[in-house]
Amino acid sequence: MTISIWRYSHLVLAIMSSLFILIASVTGAILAFEPISNQIQPYAIDGAEDVSLAQTLSVLQQEYDEVFTLEKDKNDFLIASVITKEGESETFYVHPITGEKLGDLIKKAPIFEFATNLHRSLFLKTTGRVLIGVVSFLLFVIAVTGIKLILKRQGGIKRFFSKVVKENFEQYYHVVIGKYALIPIVIITLTGVFLSLEKFDVLPDSKISHQYPEQEEVEQRLLLRDIPLFQNTRLKNVTHIEFPFSDDIEDYFTVKLNDKELLVNQYTGAIVSHQDISFVALASYWSLILHTGQGTIIWAIVLLLACVAIMFFMYSGFAMTLRRRKSTSKIKNIFKKDEAEYIILIGSETGNTFRSATLFYDALIDVGHSVFMATLNDYSTYDKAKYLVVFAATYGEGEAPISASNFVKLFQNVKQKQPLHYAVVGFGSLMYPEYCKYAIDVDAMFQNKTYFTEHLPLFKINNQSFEAFKSWITQWNAQTHHDLKIKFQKPQINLKKLKAFKVIHKSEPNIDDSFLVQLRPTKKVKFTSGDLLSLYPEVDFIERQYSIGKIEKDILLSIKKHEFGVCSNYFNNLKINEIVNAQVKHNLDFYFPKDAKEVVMIANGTGIAPFLGMINEQRTAIKTHLFWGGRTKDSLRMYETFIDAALYKKTLTSFKVAYSQEQKDKFYVQDLILNHQELISKVLKANGVVMICGSVAMQNRVLETIHTITLKQLNTPLSTFEANNQLKMDCY
Amino acid sequence: MKNLRSIALLCVIVFSLVSFTKPVESTKYKCMIQMTNYTGEGAYIVISLLNPEGEYIETLNVIGDDDEWYNTIESWWSFYGKRRTDIDAITGATVSGGERTINVIEIDNDKLDKGYKLRFESAVEDQEYYESDVELELTSQSVKSKVEGSGFIRYIRMMPQ
Repeated sequence: MTISIWRYSHLVLAIMSSLFILIASVTGAILAFEPISNQIQPYAIDGAEDVSLAQTLSVLQQEYDEVFTLEKDKNDFLIASVITKEGESETFYVHPITGEKLGDLIKKAPIFEFATNLHRSLFLKTTGRVLIGVVSFLLFVIAVTGIKLILKRQGGIKRFFSKVVKENFEQYYHVVIGKYALIPIVIITLTGVFLSLEKFDVLPDSKISHQYPEQEEVEQRLLLRDIPLFQNTRLKNVTHIEFPFSDDIEDYFTVKLNDKELLVNQYTGAIVSHQDISFVALASYWSLILHTGQGTIIWAIVLLLACVAIMFFMYSGFAMTLRRRKSTSKIKNIFKKDEAEYIILIGSETGNTFRSATLFYDALIDVGHSVFMATLNDYSTYDKAKYLVVFAATYGEGEAPISASNFVKLFQNVKQKQPLHYAVVGFGSLMYPEYCKYAIDVDAMFQNKTYFTEHLPLFKINNQSFEAFKSWITQWNAQTHHDLKIKFQKPQINLKKLKAFKVIHKSEPNIDDSFLVQLRPTKKVKFTSGDLLSLYPEVDFIERQYSIGKIEKDILLSIKKHEFGVCSNYFNNLKINEIVNAQVKHNLDFYFPKDAKEVVMIANGTGIAPFLGMINEQRTAIKTHLFWGGRTKDSLRMYETFIDAALYKKTLTSFKVAYSQEQKDKFYVQDLILNHQELISKVLKANGVVMICGSVAMQNRVLETIHTITLKQLNTPLSTFEANNQLKMDCY
Repeated sequence: MKNLRSIALLCVIVFSLVSFTKPVESTKYKCMIQMTNYTGEGAYIVISLLNPEGEYIETLNVIGDDDEWYNTIESWWSFYGKRRTDIDAITGATVSGGERTINVIEIDNDKLDKGYKLRFESAVEDQEYYESDVELELTSQSVKSKVEGSGFIRYIRMMPQ
């Protein structure tokens, strides 16, 4: 429930203030250029900060008829207001050592003038200032709720900067950019609020007022350069000097330093009054610097990027909301809840789970079943139902997703009248420590009720994997004696983008029906071991992907033939020199690490393909270990030449194999890994990388095994290494 | 011949005009404005010369460079706003509470001791407007004096330069 409040306020505030935030961020982005353009002006003098005040003041006194003020602006440019020898009253940038005029004051460009006005008061004077102040505060709240949402999503502060799961473009960059931009945005908004408050007289008075004691007349007058205070003060500490108005002894120098303000007797150099600058004044000084970026190009650029980020957040945030609306508001049931035989219950956070559920719904409807679909929050009794299928996502640290926030309570109160079969499908991501936690909880809740019978065991789907969903459908069909067909959405592909590859070699299917295909690009194509080759068979134009092993300039694929597999049969029927049209998709997350000391590669079956390429690459001393699981010794044969070559070249340090069918007890790759747990923990501890390629089932077993190993040996959960990018996976 | 005579006549007229309008001497004065410790935005202040009848004659100095706010200095605006003479040369940055500013103003010598007045008008965004924050009669004494203000100005001091 808590999560929805955070998201709800994040959204409502964003909608309310969007127009103003848009104006403020666009003008803010423009204004960020002002300090940048000022900073590149040549009025700052190298070494000026260590010049003594005495030196600068006396040279000014010599050069000009009279000096009124000397001021250091936020760009560290010195500004003097003087009467020149010609009798003209002028204000300009001045050289601290020679005292000569460097240039006229920078006049604010009309575009900045305009933008400033719009930025701080929308041309509405006081009303506008109030509005902008309030909006600034709202944006601060939005940023804070945003941080809260990221914490929820990432699962804690420690994981704040770890990898984000990519669901779609808007979601991914909303979160990724959010992680980095939120801190500057919080600073901008807080300083903005502070600056607004300052204008409205609500802050404690920060003005300094001096006491003016009676001064005794003196005979002697010290020269400026002999006044000790001026001698001991460096320009870097000075912000503003006011010269005495006249020769009267009661007219003083007012010297404003970074932290205090002094009155100085112009005859004796004595400090007549000393006042420290108040905290409020200091805070307002820093607010201005931090809000405007004056004086530093780097911070101004950060502010500029933050403004651009805000604009992007507005776009992506609203795009996400619209998408979510669209996908969650389309429950259109044909049957009423008490008529349907199949009940689909959905716990979805971002709407993705909803889509999978809808595919299942459509498939059931297509073969003439009566189905009713609802969110978990609408859980109720279903008079005619026989099957209850739950599609549940997990949010953050195993919490219920938004459309299931109330389910636990409902479940205890609602009593079904007849026995029911149930199946739970969990959606989640292995990137998070609490993988499918909510689905596990829900599954356990059903198990504990006697009138529910398990129809299918809990099935977990990683990152909305379509393949995994399909394999669940297969299980469902087998168990229920159905023949459901899931209608995949046709991907948008541009067939013209496909490249031609020539078949160089193809092995005959071995005992496991697996074979190798070697393809050579006909034109120059960039690829690396770990990339994916996408094919779009003419039957359905659905994308099929294979992991690439790069052997010299060729692509090596390892393919398992399925009886009715469109693509695997297509490959199996290829002849030497035939042309394959396909596209290389870069898979940067699964590249061989460049900077790790030691790498462990784990694969089963045809998942070995990318590793065959990687182990044959020449590289500087990185120890590599390959673990592979296959059925029989025959299964390994076709890979042997590649492995032997790598062992001979010493680009592969060790190779370990597990055969599941060669002995009485089945022995799998995860068992092999358990036998070598010291190696695994040593590699992970030394910041090494573990790469996994193969079936999702194998991946899950292996991850569980490694998780046990790291807990036992290193007392650290696997997710820590995961967050540290020490796990690379490419499974299907 | 007639031509020559008329030219001569013209010459005499021009000469006499030139010789009688001899250039008026003027003096520059240093003028310091010390603000009170009010809080809020920087103040807009206009120093104007008024004739003995109290009418605006000349704008001597404008403190505040954003003309968006000029109309808040109401009386002066009704004089200046119609003509909008060029005041760039006598315009400076605003001053905030507690600060001081020194400006140089130039006054014709023949305006002294004739009942002419110097007026300091001040206004602060969303706060009061003072038509005569400081007002003093121009005399040879007053141009070297200190005068207390009644609004945002604590006092002004003047000194011939």
